[in-house]
Amino acid sequence: MSAEVKPTRANKPFVFNAENEAKFQKLLTRYPDTAALNLPGLWLIQQQDGWISYEAMEYLAERINIPVTQVYEVATFYTMYNLQPVGKYHFQVCRTLSCELRGGEEILAHLTKKLGIKPGETSKDGRYTLTKVECLGSCGSGPMFQLNDDYHEWLTVEKVDEILAKLP
Amino acid sequence: MSKLITMNVDGQELQVEEGKNLIDALSAVGIHIPHFCYHPALGFDGNCRMCLVEVEGARGPQIACNTPVKEGMKVSLSSESSMNLRRKVLEFELINHPLDCPICDQAGECKLQDYYMEAGLSKSRMEVEKVAKEKNLDFGCGVVHDQERCVLCARCVRFLRKYTKTAELGIVNRCDKAKVTTFPEKPINNRYALNVVDICPVGAMTSRDFRFKQRVWFMSSEKSVCHGCAKGCSIYVDHNQEKYKAERVYRFRPRENAQVNGHFMCDAGRLSYRKENENRLTTAKASERFEAVDIATSQAVALLSAAKGKAVFIVSPSWTTEQMAVAKSLATHYDGYLSGYADGYIVKGDGDDLLLKEDKAANRASLELLGISTDRQKLISNLKTAEVVVVLNNDLSLTASDKREFEALFAGKQVIFVGSHRIALADSAQTVIPCASYTEYAGVVVNVDSILQEVTCAIEKECFARRPEQVMAALSGNAIKAELGAVRQQLSASVPALAQVDWNAIPENGLNLKGGAQ
Ligand code: SF4
Ligand code: SF4
Ligand code: FES
Ligand code: FES
Repeated sequence: MSAEVKPTRANKPFVFNAENEAKFQKLLTRYPDTAALNLPGLWLIQQQDGWISYEAMEYLAERINIPVTQVYEVATFYTMYNLQPVGKYHFQVCRTLSCELRGGEEILAHLTKKLGIKPGETSKDGRYTLTKVECLGSCGSGPMFQLNDDYHEWLTVEKVDEILAKLP
Repeated sequence: MSKLITMNVDGQELQVEEGKNLIDALSAVGIHIPHFCYHPALGFDGNCRMCLVEVEGARGPQIACNTPVKEGMKVSLSSESSMNLRRKVLEFELINHPLDCPICDQAGECKLQDYYMEAGLSKSRMEVEKVAKEKNLDFGCGVVHDQERCVLCARCVRFLRKYTKTAELGIVNRCDKAKVTTFPEKPINNRYALNVVDICPVGAMTSRDFRFKQRVWFMSSEKSVCHGCAKGCSIYVDHNQEKYKAERVYRFRPRENAQVNGHFMCDAGRLSYRKENENRLTTAKASERFEAVDIATSQAVALLSAAKGKAVFIVSPSWTTEQMAVAKSLATHYDGYLSGYADGYIVKGDGDDLLLKEDKAANRASLELLGISTDRQKLISNLKTAEVVVVLNNDLSLTASDKREFEALFAGKQVIFVGSHRIALADSAQTVIPCASYTEYAGVVVNVDSILQEVTCAIEKECFARRPEQVMAALSGNAIKAELGAVRQQLSASVPALAQVDWNAIPENGLNLKGGAQ
C-alpha cells in the first residue's frame, strides 16, 4: 500500500466545472440516496483536478449531504484516489504477488532509477509521479503498471524504456 | 416484556425473551457473550467477529450480535471449539496491539484484557515488527485517542453519527493502516463527546480529565443521580480515599437507565463531579467571624427564636425531597415563610433533544409536590418584612439581576447561609454553616419527567460538614424530625404522589410517579 497521506489543502475552493456539474446532476437521478455519490463524486473531482484536495472533500460532503469524515473514509480506502497532486505522468506499479513473481521488483527499480524519484514521490518539475499499488487485476499479464489511464502489460526493462521514450 | 422462549446454552435449558439477539437475550439472564462492536444503543455492525458462537444446525459459527434467539435453539459458548474461535479472533486483535496495559487507563475495565484472560492466553506467533501508530492524539472535548490500542469496532464513529449526529470521527485507510481519526482541523465538538470514552471497549479512547488519576480497581462506585440539570441522569459515583489524602470523587459515569438517560450522559454533567471536590465551604461563621460550627448554630438558633414570624427560608431546588420536607418543618417551626424560588437555575436555550435540560435544578419537581412556592413576587414581598433570612444552599446569585435585587433586599437583615459551596453568600452572610453536598448524603430527587430516583451517599465527610437535614434539625433546636425514615413516613402520609413509594425498595431505574414502576 502506498504511504499514508493526509488531506492536503489546495488553498483554493473547489467547484465542479460545467461539464462535471452536468455529469453530477445526471448521477443524482441515478440513486435513491445522495450518499451513493460518494465514490463517483470523488472520481469526478479527480478527473477535473487530477487529485482530491481537502477543500474538494468538504465540497463533495456538502453536495451529497454526508459528513466529511465519510468522504475522507472512502477517499483513503481506495488507492485509486490521489490525495496529493500528481505529476503529468502517473506510474502506478503493481507490487502484488503475481507481478512480483514475474519481475515486478525489477521494473520498479528500473523506473526509480530512470525517473529519479522513489515510490510515493513526484519529480520536482511535476512531470512524473511514481506509486506502488496493490493488484490491478491484470495478474495474467504481469508485470504491469498503469500509466495515467492506461495499462502496460508484459513489461520488461526494454519495454519500459520504449514507453518512456515515447512520452511527449 | 415480550414472550419467553426456551433455548439451550451449553447444555443448560434457559428461558429468554423472544425478539432479541443472542447477546442481549443472554445478558438479561446473566450470560455474557464476548463482543466489541455491538452496543445496544448503537445496534449491530458485525465488524469485530468477537461474538462468534456455535449454533447447532447452522452452517458455521454465527455472530451473536445479529442472531435472533429462536425457540429450541442450541448454542455452545464454552466448548473447546467456541473458545478456539475466540482465541483466533483475539490473536488477530493483538497482532499490532502495543500491550501497554500497565500505563493504560482502561486496564481493569478493558474488554480486550478480560477476553484474553478468558480465552486468549496464546503466545504471539508474529515475527515481524508491529505497526506503530500515533498515541495521545487530542481529538477535542477532552477525548484522547490512542490508535495502537484501537480494535476498530467503530463504536465511537457510530455514536457520533447516530446519537449526536455530529459525525466528527471516521475510520480512514485500510488493513493494518486503518485508524480512527477526525477530519484535519475539525476536532470533536459536541456536548456528549466523552461518552466515546465509556463505549470504547478498550483503552483507545481516554478522557483527558481522568487520565492517570486512578487505577479503576482502587475506586468504589455508588449508584446516584447527576445534579447537573433537571434530567437527573443515573450515574455511578467513582470515589477513593488515597493514603494520607481526603476521600474524593474521581469521576461520574453514566449508569444505564432506559427510563431516564439510556446509556449516556452529557459532558457537563460528567465533569460536574469536580464541584464535589472544589470550592467547598468548610468553615462556619457567626457574627461575621470564623467560629466552630456549634457556636454558629447556636447563634443562628438565637437569631431565629428572636425573629419568630419574621423569618424567610429559601431552599435549594436541588436538595432531596426529604431535605425539602425538613426545610418545610423548619419554616413552620419558626412560623416563617418558605420559598423555593430558583429562576436563576434556568439557563435559556441550554437544553437539547438528547438529555440536557434548561433547568439546572435537580429536584424542582419536588418543590411542586411539597407545595413549596417558587414565586418571585411572593418571596420579595415576604423578604421586605423579614428580619432574618435563612438561605438553604439556594444560589441566588446565578443571574446578575437577581444578585443585585436580593443583595439589596438582604441589606440590614440577619442572613444565615447553610451551604455546601463557597458561593457569594458564604462571604456576605453574617452566619454561615457548612453542610454536605449530594455525594455525601442519601435521599431522593424527582426529575423533570416525574421519575423519582435515589441519591446515595458515596463519601462521608462527617469531620466538617453535617448533612443538610442534620443542620436544619440543629437550627430548630432539635425540635423537628430530620431522621430519614421518619421524614419519609411523613412524606408518604402527606404527599399523595408519594403515598405508594416503598422507600426501602426504590427500583434502581427509579419510580415513575406518573405511571408507577417501570
Ligand atoms: S477508538 Fe475504541 S470505540 Fe473507537 S473504533 Fe477504536 S476501539 Fe472502537
Ligand atoms: S443531562 Fe443533566 S442530568 Fe444528565 S448528565 Fe447532563 S447535566 Fe447531568
Ligand atoms: S498481481 Fe499485478 S495485476 Fe494482479
Ligand atoms: S459484536 Fe458481533 S461482530 Fe462485533
